[in-house]
Amino acid sequence: MPLNASRRGSARLTALLWLALLAGAGLIIQHSLRISGDLRLFMPTPHDAVGRLLLEEVSEGPAAKLLLVSIQGAPPEALAATSQNLSAALRADPAFGFVSNGEQRLDMVPDALLPYRYLLSTTLDTNHLDADYLHAQLQEREQDLASPAATLLTPLLPRDPTLELLKVLEAWEPAHQAQQLFDVWFNPAGNAALLIAQTRTAGFDPNGQKRAIEALRRHFNEVRGSPSMQLTIAGTGAFAVTMQARSEADARLAAMLDSAGMVLLMLLAYGSLRRVLLGALPLATAGICGLGAAAALFDSVHGITIAFGFTLTGVALDYPIYLFSNEQPGVQPVAVARAVWPTLATAVVAVCVAYLAFLVSGVRGLAQLATFNIVGLAAAGLCTRYLVPRLLPVGARDHGEGRLAVLLSKVSTRLPRLPWLAPVIALIGLIAVIGIPGPWWDNDLGHLTPVPESMVREYETLQQALGAPDVRYLLALQAPTPDALLVREESLATQLDALTMQHAIGGFDQAARYLPSAGVQQRRQAALPDAKTLADNLDRAAKGMAFKPGLFAPFLADVARARSLPPLSVDTVAGTPLALTVGALLQHRDGGWTGLVTLTDVREPDKLAAVAAASGGTIHLLDLKQAAEDLVAHQRQRIVASVAAAAVLLLLVVAVSCRSLRRMLRVVTPMLLSTLVTLAVLHGAGVALNLFHLIALVLAAGLGLDYGLFLERASHEPAAHRRALHAVTICATAACVVFAVLGSSTLPVLRSIGITVVLGVLSNFLLAQLLIRRDPA
Amino acid sequence: MGRVRCGVLVLLLLPAFAMGQQTSSAPGAAAPADIDALLHRLARPAPATTAFVEVHFSPVLSRPLIVSGELQYDGPDSLARTVTKPYSEHTEIHGDQVSVVRGSGTPRTFSLARAPDLKTLLSSFSALLGGNRQQLEQSFTLMLNGDDAHWSINLTPRDSRVAQRVARITVNGAAGLARCMTTAAPDGSVTIMLMEDAAQTLVAPDTDRAALEKVCH
Repeated sequence: MPLNASRRGSARLTALLWLALLAGAGLIIQHSLRISGDLRLFMPTPHDAVGRLLLEEVSEGPAAKLLLVSIQGAPPEALAATSQNLSAALRADPAFGFVSNGEQRLDMVPDALLPYRYLLSTTLDTNHLDADYLHAQLQEREQDLASPAATLLTPLLPRDPTLELLKVLEAWEPAHQAQQLFDVWFNPAGNAALLIAQTRTAGFDPNGQKRAIEALRRHFNEVRGSPSMQLTIAGTGAFAVTMQARSEADARLAAMLDSAGMVLLMLLAYGSLRRVLLGALPLATAGICGLGAAAALFDSVHGITIAFGFTLTGVALDYPIYLFSNEQPGVQPVAVARAVWPTLATAVVAVCVAYLAFLVSGVRGLAQLATFNIVGLAAAGLCTRYLVPRLLPVGARDHGEGRLAVLLSKVSTRLPRLPWLAPVIALIGLIAVIGIPGPWWDNDLGHLTPVPESMVREYETLQQALGAPDVRYLLALQAPTPDALLVREESLATQLDALTMQHAIGGFDQAARYLPSAGVQQRRQAALPDAKTLADNLDRAAKGMAFKPGLFAPFLADVARARSLPPLSVDTVAGTPLALTVGALLQHRDGGWTGLVTLTDVREPDKLAAVAAASGGTIHLLDLKQAAEDLVAHQRQRIVASVAAAAVLLLLVVAVSCRSLRRMLRVVTPMLLSTLVTLAVLHGAGVALNLFHLIALVLAAGLGLDYGLFLERASHEPAAHRRALHAVTICATAACVVFAVLGSSTLPVLRSIGITVVLGVLSNFLLAQLLIRRDPA
Repeated sequence: MGRVRCGVLVLLLLPAFAMGQQTSSAPGAAAPADIDALLHRLARPAPATTAFVEVHFSPVLSRPLIVSGELQYDGPDSLARTVTKPYSEHTEIHGDQVSVVRGSGTPRTFSLARAPDLKTLLSSFSALLGGNRQQLEQSFTLMLNGDDAHWSINLTPRDSRVAQRVARITVNGAAGLARCMTTAAPDGSVTIMLMEDAAQTLVAPDTDRAALEKVCH
């Protein structure tokens, strides 16, 4: 009796300590977990300036931040009104930068910048403000005043008789515009109003994009003209959000099905509800402790780390199953745990040591994943050793004597002994892997977040209709100062104009279109007449006309101001609507300035490449698709190297634990062969491997290691072997159930993980049966 | 400039037709007992043409601008205004599109309904042409003054967005015939359009509003 009492006391103490640990981890998660969607966490650190630029453009480039919006489902007029209201709402929302729906807006140029209009407009490049030019302009204005538009013109006239402001605004309109109905952009069919909104957050930041898209939808619901109107949003960010929502929904469904499957399986295997609950304890511990450690050690944890972390800690399910299967009637669970601990500890330590290789991979996402798993699995192992047995009742059954184990054992002993099996499988596997032609690796970054074909088509249609910039090609210029950059852009513009004429590109956009270089502005400034000359010219020009004397005094004052203004620069446009446009195209980085030239409808990239090649290194043609593929390839090299290092570490730990090379080989041969077989099957089926397959292979290998260890340690004693068989069968069935559900997902990411793990587990299970035989008694 | 310009076009084009052309069918001396009867008498079907003289007074001008030409109405969504003197300019509305050619220049095309307020005006004036008072009163407060020999209708916009461009429109006429339309903008400019036989009046280059009002009455 006192024994029992002290057992209960220690159980209570352990449980309390455990709860405190979990609560601590939970607190850390709550306080310091920042989930990041920045893809760069999962990419290798770039080694040069161009690499950094590429990486930033992939996730933060102006094109990646654009959302293309279409409004349908009402007559064009109503759509146009909604488009105008929506644009106004978006412009007022700080989540959005540049917003355009085709409307011309006079407020693009704030009052303070108005005198600059003569320095921004090209008028003075070909004309002078002499009497003849002014006379022709004033004649036009008289006719305007006698036209129906007179009331709109009257307020502008005294200050701007040449309507320079309107010329500037016209020049700023996109080179390739969508067709306009009711003054806003429409698709060619005329049944959808179109607009472009640039988000402030990066394109590959799914959380920021999600907030922006939610805001967009909220504004739309507030301003829409009729309930029949529909909003379509396309763009890099919209894709990221859609895919994330779909993955989450699929993952949630999978989790529910998995939980139901696990409960059923554990009930069938152990016939005890308490064991079902206790079986989940190490797994939950692994998730909470792993996430807590990652949250505590890193500034922000990538969403992929969390998803993969939880997937990979699935190995922890093996630990309680091994414990339960080894229970025997009348034996204290604590004693059982002590007996299985050497094997269990080897499994835990081997996997944890293997993950150390990921810590030094140079890829921050992988380091986070390693932290998550090392801490999580260690906690799960300790939980299985110290907490679970203290909460278990004394076992009533020997699972080794159950019908399942006896049957399996019979089958197992009758299996033929095939000493040649391992070499043959290795040979066939190697031949298949090396011999079958086909792509090995999938380098398309897009496949990491695959977007349904219909969405891509929708996006392309919108992009074409709007003349939105190409998301693949981009020119980048570098210069030490912003003005030097603008000068370079101006000379580049001549070349790009020629390419546009040749239809090699549809058009281009760059900062110099909005903000001429200081030199150009000063040239125009020098062409402005002095106050007296201008007043004389104006007097002669207006002779005989109906304008009130002295009407144009504000014009004279503006020109006088324009003559002495310092040229408009990146600094002086700050805080004006112009800053948004210029800022997206002109960026300060790495101590220098980078100008981006967006391109539309690139038909002959070779010619762009030729322009870049002839620039002597000041202009780069960025092929974002190629760059992304290179990044993925580079990242994969790091991961493959890490996995190889992990395998070596794992073998070392197992060898030390087994204290015999022969036994170590027995443990790891099924696992190594299974990895080869899985690779061969995937490759034979024409699957190009990506990051997710690699992660899944690592997981399957971890599970295989458990099976090998459990069976090998028990191979000397028939009863123990039957219990190990029981454990391994339940483990493998559980893993197959969990990952078969994932494998049936519609999302390629989840499917590739699911299928790979199921293949690996089946192969590991079968090969372990065939290769790790019970020693003949 | 194009898009800015189209704004008030409809305003100034449409009433001319609504008011100007009862010449042959005007049934003599019936008093305008009420607006209904007057609108009924002013309404007329397309196509129709009339000469016009427009005199523009503006706070930015020291003397008025005077242009003359012809207006043509081809149905509810098809209108043309041609200025022949002192320069040539041709403006057309077809459906939602407006095009303007000045002299021998290239035509500029832009959309008519740059704002919903203008759309309201367009349908209102269609209502005027069709003699549809109910539709007209959705957008304007109507007021009839005078007697059959010298009547005038005041139209005051109800919509504040329309009111930003047009303070008041006054149509003057005698019997079943409109002679003048005066459009006053909130910025102080006033356009007086003389139609039909009033368009034959010789307008002095330094004319003033008082002189023109005499012609209108």
